[in-house]
Amino acid sequence: MKKILLMLTLFGVCHLQAQGCSDAGICSVGNAFGIAERQSKNNIELGSTIGTGEANVQYFSPYLTYARNWNAQLELAIKVTFNLAAGDFGKRATFGDAYLVGNYHWKSDKAPKWSTLIAMKFPFTSANLKINGYSLPLDYQASLGTFDLIAAVNLNYKNWDFNAGLQLPVFNINRNSYFSEFSGTDDFASTNLFERKPDALFRIAYTHKTARKFAFKPNVLFIYHLGEDSYETIFGQRENIVGSDGLTINGNLIGLYALSATSSIELSVATPFVVRDTRPDGLTRSFTAGIVYKVSF
Amino acid sequence: MLAFSLASCEVEGERTKDGQNNQVIMPASVLKYSGDFFSTPGITVSGSAKIYLDGNQFKVNLENFSISDGPDLKVYLSKADTPSEFVNLGNLTDARVYAVPTSVNVWQYPFVLIHCQQYNHLFAIAPLTEN
Repeated sequence: MKKILLMLTLFGVCHLQAQGCSDAGICSVGNAFGIAERQSKNNIELGSTIGTGEANVQYFSPYLTYARNWNAQLELAIKVTFNLAAGDFGKRATFGDAYLVGNYHWKSDKAPKWSTLIAMKFPFTSANLKINGYSLPLDYQASLGTFDLIAAVNLNYKNWDFNAGLQLPVFNINRNSYFSEFSGTDDFASTNLFERKPDALFRIAYTHKTARKFAFKPNVLFIYHLGEDSYETIFGQRENIVGSDGLTINGNLIGLYALSATSSIELSVATPFVVRDTRPDGLTRSFTAGIVYKVSF
Repeated sequence: MLAFSLASCEVEGERTKDGQNNQVIMPASVLKYSGDFFSTPGITVSGSAKIYLDGNQFKVNLENFSISDGPDLKVYLSKADTPSEFVNLGNLTDARVYAVPTSVNVWQYPFVLIHCQQYNHLFAIAPLTEN
């Protein structure tokens, strides 16, 4: 217990400026979709995270997931996200993205067990929400305005889970029109007509179940952004955003309490340890804390 | 209902208050270029674009200006009457004066355009002549 308290304290006090796991989609792989209760046909998950981002922007990001087990192997899920961002530019809130997810658990009587996941992300906005006619940086946008394909594989061996995945923007409707030149601050990079590169993910998670109704799941998430994002300058020229590629490493601790045989509550904290030099996509969080209620029937 | 009210949440902040980026034309400014706007099909526009030199700073002033509503209108200084080579001066707001970056050779840009970036639709054109 002392170790757990120490870990919670460490996660709680870290305030790095870095890409967190607010949700580009890929962060959910093997987490929200992968550990749904598989004895029941239907699963509902209602969750929310709070977080702090660049320039002290505060976030409240609830989501709702419905998952259905079609048979012993196949699970299909839909997830809808919402985002409220508040900071010097004001408050802006709207629905973010919808996800359609298919998760296939390969037949196996003994360890290791494999599952594969295919998902699509659909944006509800083109990432050009404004306040009073002023364009907002991506940090205030609920979605990046990209249709993404997500593919991932999960290996479960005893108490360990290993996830590897790829998030590929396949269609871009991003019409963001934010220029730092016109905003009076250089807190955020210009992201006019932003184009985003893919991400690769690798996660290691360990699940420790106690004799009672508790489980703890510390995990480390590696995200590699596979290239520099780009934007269109005030002269209409496309320009790469130097330093927007590279590695992010996040630490995440999840604590789960089983309320009953069919419902549970989950608390999580996360913070990044290694960061990219430039993070224009607005996914930056110095710290996030989450709560999730899950019920199956 | 709750989702709808949350979805429409928009509250201004320190950096998005009305009049935040308002520029003005100083009395000593010199009028260098001007031209009247005409619209593209389906759009209504009136007024003119005038470019003043204010010290070392060129400024575009939209005078007696009004235009049909559009979702993401920008003010461009352009080399042609279509938005191919241009300088984006920012969002078209209630503000009527737009500063031109000092690195821009204004004489190379003989048009002011009002362009909807989100849907890539040109709204209005003002061909400029030297005063």
